[in-house]
Amino acid sequence: MQEATFLILTALADGSQHGYGIISEVADISEGRVRLRAGTLYTALDRLRADGLIDVDREEIVDNRLRRYYRLTPAGGRRLAAEAARLQANARAAMTRLNPGLGAI
Amino acid sequence: MTDWSPGGDSFSISDRASSSARLERAYRRLVACYPRSFRRESTEEVIAVLLATAREGQRRPSVAEAADLLRGAARMRLGLSRCPRTVLHAVRLMYLGALAEVVVLVTLLLSIGSIRSSTRAAVIHAVGPHAAPAATRQLLASVASTVNVTIVIDIAFALFAIAAWLFFAWANGKGSALARVGAIIACAIYGALTIQGYAQGDAKYAPVAAIVASSAVLVIGIAAVILLLMKQSWPYYTRPATAR
Repeated sequence: MQEATFLILTALADGSQHGYGIISEVADISEGRVRLRAGTLYTALDRLRADGLIDVDREEIVDNRLRRYYRLTPAGGRRLAAEAARLQANARAAMTRLNPGLGAI
Repeated sequence: MTDWSPGGDSFSISDRASSSARLERAYRRLVACYPRSFRRESTEEVIAVLLATAREGQRRPSVAEAADLLRGAARMRLGLSRCPRTVLHAVRLMYLGALAEVVVLVTLLLSIGSIRSSTRAAVIHAVGPHAAPAATRQLLASVASTVNVTIVIDIAFALFAIAAWLFFAWANGKGSALARVGAIIACAIYGALTIQGYAQGDAKYAPVAAIVASSAVLVIGIAAVILLLMKQSWPYYTRPATAR
């Protein structure tokens, strides 16, 4: 799973978000390192919807502008959990090997 | 502006409104490049996001924004936004194959003169200095016409191959199961023809650049076929058409 995809799913993990909300959440989570552009975001959302990992939650009109909210599907939640566990195991292995005296952190 | 008179302020507000309207129109022109189904559902949403992420006072889309939108539009139009990574790489390789085939065509066109003169020199060398001049001329003419026919066939083959690569790249990106089978068969035929050509001595006469390029094309084709046949690629070709 690409990092942008992982971060988008993470942004939706604790509740639905609209497009701009996802962009700012992803920037927050990555501490400003990943700034999604609209084209990249909507290519990823199109793909995630086709794969059944996210779905449209609801639509709102704010200031005459359409906001479409997306949410994680159960399948999306499982995929994200599996990917997070994999990354966590890798990170733990790296830390353990870098600091053999300290043991697992 | 130091003069904050009411008149000046209202002018700057309307100025800002017109520049944001201009920015919105420019974004809409870029979003117009997306496929119709996406535009119908998502134009307003994307425009809202673009305007929300625009800098204060921005008057036109930045180069990076335009490139990002155009790339997204191209990926969606080619069906690549939803295909597995293996298929995406295979399709990219196929476009690369078309490009390599263009290189083959160009080197062929550039080396027509040297192919002609080297075959002519080979004929003169083969008949030797004591042959009758009339017979040598006749032989040279017939060899030259054979060479011309071969060159025309090679050019036609290269043009056909470019078209085939582009078609298979496009159709595989769309998830056509038929195109996948077709690409595999085409690659097998291409490989057989190339190897047969080498066996018949193409490698001796053809320019080195053409040999390198056609070998590269073959390697690209084999790599693309392997990617198309990988486990991750299968679901993309077996799901119902409505899901695409």
